[in-house]
Amino acid sequence: MMGWIRRRLWRAALADPDFLFLLDPPPEGEAVSLDCETTGLDPWVDEIVAVAAVPVVGNRILTSSRFEAVVRPTRMPEAGSIKVHGLRQRDVAAGRPMSEVLPELLRFIGPRPLVGYYIDFDVRMVDRYALHQIGTRLPNRRIEVSSLYYDRKYGKAPPGTAVDLRFASIRTELGIPDLGQHDALADAVMAAMMWVQLRDLQARGQRLRLERRREATAAPLGA
Amino acid sequence: MATGFDAQNPPFDRLTQQEVEELRAAADIGYFTPGETIIARGRASDVLHVVIKGAVEAREGEALQGVLGPRDSFDSRALVHRAAGEDFIAAEETLCFLLPGALVRALIARNPAFAAFFYADVSRKLEAFAEARRPEGGMEGVLRARVRDAMRHRAVTIPGSATIAEAGQAMREADVNALFVRSDGRVGVVTGMNLGKAAVLRGLPLDTPVAEVTHFDVVSVEADDFLFDALLAMTRHSKRRLGVRDGDAWVGFLEDIDLLGQFAGNSQLIPGRIDGARSVEELAAPARAIQDQVERLWRQGVKVEAIAEITSDLNRRLLVRLFELVAPPSIREQGCLILMGSEGRGEQTVRTDQDNGLLLAGPVPEAELAAFREAFSGALDSYGFPPCPGNVMVRNPLWSQTLEGMTRQLRGWIQERTPEAAMNIAIFLDAVALTGRLALLDEAKAALFGMMRGEAALMAHFAYLIESFATPSLGVLGTIMASVGVGEDAIDIKKAGIFPIVHGVRTMALDRGIAATATSGRIDALVAGGALEEGLGRELLGALRVFMAYRIASQIDAVRRGNVAAEALVRPSALTSADRDILRDSLRVVRHFREVIGTRFKTSVF
Repeated sequence: MMGWIRRRLWRAALADPDFLFLLDPPPEGEAVSLDCETTGLDPWVDEIVAVAAVPVVGNRILTSSRFEAVVRPTRMPEAGSIKVHGLRQRDVAAGRPMSEVLPELLRFIGPRPLVGYYIDFDVRMVDRYALHQIGTRLPNRRIEVSSLYYDRKYGKAPPGTAVDLRFASIRTELGIPDLGQHDALADAVMAAMMWVQLRDLQARGQRLRLERRREATAAPLGA
Repeated sequence: MATGFDAQNPPFDRLTQQEVEELRAAADIGYFTPGETIIARGRASDVLHVVIKGAVEAREGEALQGVLGPRDSFDSRALVHRAAGEDFIAAEETLCFLLPGALVRALIARNPAFAAFFYADVSRKLEAFAEARRPEGGMEGVLRARVRDAMRHRAVTIPGSATIAEAGQAMREADVNALFVRSDGRVGVVTGMNLGKAAVLRGLPLDTPVAEVTHFDVVSVEADDFLFDALLAMTRHSKRRLGVRDGDAWVGFLEDIDLLGQFAGNSQLIPGRIDGARSVEELAAPARAIQDQVERLWRQGVKVEAIAEITSDLNRRLLVRLFELVAPPSIREQGCLILMGSEGRGEQTVRTDQDNGLLLAGPVPEAELAAFREAFSGALDSYGFPPCPGNVMVRNPLWSQTLEGMTRQLRGWIQERTPEAAMNIAIFLDAVALTGRLALLDEAKAALFGMMRGEAALMAHFAYLIESFATPSLGVLGTIMASVGVGEDAIDIKKAGIFPIVHGVRTMALDRGIAATATSGRIDALVAGGALEEGLGRELLGALRVFMAYRIASQIDAVRRGNVAAEALVRPSALTSADRDILRDSLRVVRHFREVIGTRFKTSVF
């Protein structure tokens, strides 16, 4: 929960009062899984080319009422990033400008918490457009699946344990099928799957097992 | 595709691209925590669940009926019939697609192939399943071909009063070698060969009315029948030419040569080769041909019950011919060759045993009997019939003796009350008489029915055999074993499915004194007599066909791999989810039937 002062400051910065609903109390048990595909990894320079948001209500991932948009960036994506998200120049050229997509996205998300894998990056990307268009950043609470995972997996790990928080590693550990990475919707759906499962493990106090590394020298020879 | 919904997974593979897109757009994803009840038994569900990851147990009270894994869907009955058949409980952290019930029901109404998956009735589901089974090797055309398409000889009809010479003329003009002959309101067939024999061998004058050399026992098929029906008729009646009718009219002939190019099995030629064999050695080739055609027919997509029918016909012909060749006059005069067990029921496809015996009206010279026993069973051994594990064959004196001895033997088995004795009675109950003094078998069976009539305790003992093998739940071991990484699940279809149905129906038939031996015939008689509810009868037959279909597939596989011990093993993990669903339904029918038998014959006292 944002403190009272921060809420006042946010409200003062908000240029467009239409978006005051972002401060409403979020509906119980709801969240939105968010993922952006971008032209690169620098939030100051790079731009969003696709965004997907999938609501989660209780334990149900509402893929049927998802938000998806392809965005036309001001600079066209370069070869390096096309390799990552598969959106070519001609694909994003068919997209809509962010000035049109952002209000729709914000109305879709509303005051609900945002779920994602490295969600700070995605929110920072959206924030850049929000600062420009409505004068302020997103006030929504953020839920980071990799830290939930860290807590379930490595929370009581002995010092020196190798920590692996790669997306594919989390996905494999939780038994979630690969829906095709670097597609905004697939990433958002997989993050939502991770979240509902991790949240349940947390509620039940269940931990993920650390696989013990066997010493390489232990192989019995001549046995 | 971004949500990972797999449209290749049956039954969704039967949807059009547009229908798949509709489903994808409407699907949600649900998460279920271990132990959570997803659908309770008897409750409706407004979504169809398709497992993405995890495991879901199907439970009926305490009993675990099956474990569903990725790509399995549930529960069609909760969705369509508004009441789930079982409790569905998440066994692990589970994710499922949730497909809206209203949309699924709309697709069911629109798309019959998709709808078949949701039938409650196993037999209807099976029909759809059988149709979906694509023949291997691009032979679909053969299956769908109608008699009309293969028929190359048009009908020419002449009156019976026409002369032999006129008939010959008519054949030449129409370029055919058989004619329909209409005489005294009957229709018969005369062939060029008939005319030739009449003139040359019998020396009949050329102005003899053709009706005199016409045969009127015409075997016919309908023009719209499948070619396969024609093949069956040719095999059964040992005919190489069939009359083709279209309603009331005769429209042409179908000759075996017309079929030659179509069916690789050529089973219509086997009877001729059997009847033509003049020694035990000459029978070897057609005996092998019978077995070879089973696999070919199966690959061509012929239904399993039809294969069993055709194979059983041919095997019977073979045994009769062998009997004629090796039995000395004393045995041919006194004896009756009988076929028992699955052979007697006509439900055997790939050979698993011999299951034959001999009944004698009176004593025959011991030396002749001993020689015959060895010659008969020895010949079958050499043709590749596996020796019967239960030693049910002519070679075993227990199964080749006088009527009097056999009746005494049956009484002994009844009093013995051991499972082995009950099994022997069961095998004998399935007997059919093949050749010789057919009435001997009727007498022996009448004696058996007489001994069992009204004997509730004896019937209970007999019925109790059904409990010999437990009906497994699908995939229970699978998940446990897979999670520790050893072994894999396999179900013995013969023990788990076929035997309980066959034996339960057999018990009811014995109780009612029904003479039919085929399970389907017994079910018909039981339903007609009011002893069996019609719906259950249909379900049992449907389930039996499912098991037989899986079994023949696994038998053919076992024969190919040379591992006959595994002939009845089916690995659910190797099946598609639609197949698993049908197997699960069929096993449910078996479990229900066990309860019916248990209640009716009070087997619970054991």
